[in-house]
Amino acid sequence: MESWIQRLFLSALLLGLTGISSGAYAQDDSTSDDDELGQIITPDVKRRTIKEDDLDSENFEMGAYYGLLSIEDFGTNEVVGITFAYHITEDFFVEAAYGMSKTEKTSYELLSGGVELLTEDERDLSYYNLSLGYNFLHGQVFISDKWTFNNHFYIVAGAGNTDFAAKDYFTTNLGAGLRFYATDWLALDLSMRGHSFKHELFGESKTVTNLESRLGLSLFF
Amino acid sequence: MMSYGAQQKIREPQTPLYSRAIRHLSLCCLMLCSTPVFAATWFDSWFAKQEPLQVSVDDAFINVYSGPGRGYPIFYVVEREEIITLLKSRTEWIKIKTRRGLVGWIKRDDMQFTLALDGSKPEFPDSKQADYLVDRFEMGAAYGDFAGADSLNMNLGYRFTKNLSAELRYAENTGQFSDSQIIAAGILFQPFPDLRASPFFSIGGGKIKTFPSSTLVQTEDREDDLLQASLGAYVHLTGRFFLRVEYTNHYIMTSRNTNEEVNEWKVGFNVFF
Repeated sequence: MESWIQRLFLSALLLGLTGISSGAYAQDDSTSDDDELGQIITPDVKRRTIKEDDLDSENFEMGAYYGLLSIEDFGTNEVVGITFAYHITEDFFVEAAYGMSKTEKTSYELLSGGVELLTEDERDLSYYNLSLGYNFLHGQVFISDKWTFNNHFYIVAGAGNTDFAAKDYFTTNLGAGLRFYATDWLALDLSMRGHSFKHELFGESKTVTNLESRLGLSLFF
Repeated sequence: MMSYGAQQKIREPQTPLYSRAIRHLSLCCLMLCSTPVFAATWFDSWFAKQEPLQVSVDDAFINVYSGPGRGYPIFYVVEREEIITLLKSRTEWIKIKTRRGLVGWIKRDDMQFTLALDGSKPEFPDSKQADYLVDRFEMGAAYGDFAGADSLNMNLGYRFTKNLSAELRYAENTGQFSDSQIIAAGILFQPFPDLRASPFFSIGGGKIKTFPSSTLVQTEDREDDLLQASLGAYVHLTGRFFLRVEYTNHYIMTSRNTNEEVNEWKVGFNVFF
């Protein structure tokens, strides 16, 4: 009697377990079936539209330069500066520049002995300008069999102010340069600028053009 | 359709370590600065490696140039159905990478001959004047003639509605007898913003600081209030670039008995962002 009840319970338990497990199996099967089915039906491609805003644009440029600035009557001196540019089209760009230099004594001051035309602070020269540039003669240079680099020439013209001898002078600038791209975001810049302004430091009004030759490095971002 | 599946296989695996580090970094920044959540998402989107932007060529071929300019040589062509990855853009050029790893530049205009991988056309709209009419920052520089003195002007503005914008102005005037600086703020009204040459008028006020030339007269630097009324026009050049011509009447309220009036002509460029 006892064993009969035992057998009944055990078989019921077994039935129940298998029922559950088979149910569980069934459930597993059905989910894996769904997955496979899903994989077959829906292609594993993200629906994605391409917008221009998703693309990183590199139209700004920041650079620093070092060079020599020859200041009429005040000697040739080192100049350092920074530039910031925006490329409007492949041809045109606008560039803002700020540069600093220090001038020497004039020949007159040196020869006459004690005469000082300017104080020490007044000998500092700084300038800023905003220019429009035009790129032309694009091409490649071949360093060796495997290495080629892009380069192009450019011309710029603009206006700004020069702060010299405790006064601001409206200054126009004209220049040209050679751009040499190490990669498409790093460029070496070899250029010349002429900064023209009118001053009356020696009594009479005089227009001077200060020639600057410089070497710079700029980053595009 | 087949190409989609094939495409999926070559998609490069993400670099989990890198992106995790970035995420931690941005999280640290978030904690440090206790900035709002959008800053973190901005950080994430800025640094995290993004899904490559891929399109397939939908024309016989597209020329690939060695640099972002029409003067650079064409050294390769991508053919129909070839999948290319878009890397970045500079002016009207887009840097691409082919499946075989070749890197070059294609014209932005050639994007019309491509399809996104879901078959849709990539959205590369031509920017029009109308795109720069509302909710835009504006920055400009101009050269002017300030009663005989050379004047350099800078302005920073914000366009609230199609017709109305507010701006800050800064000018440095260098003359024979004195230099001056102007800082002013103004409101600008454009009755017909849709015209290619759109007239505007503006009123503003600020301060003018005058520095007489020390070699000439021994007078002190002075600072006066100033009112401005301007009439001018924006002329749309290309994309986000506008030419701006302006005639401004400056009314300087001096501490002396008589007030001064200075008329200025300006011409310059403005960019909208």
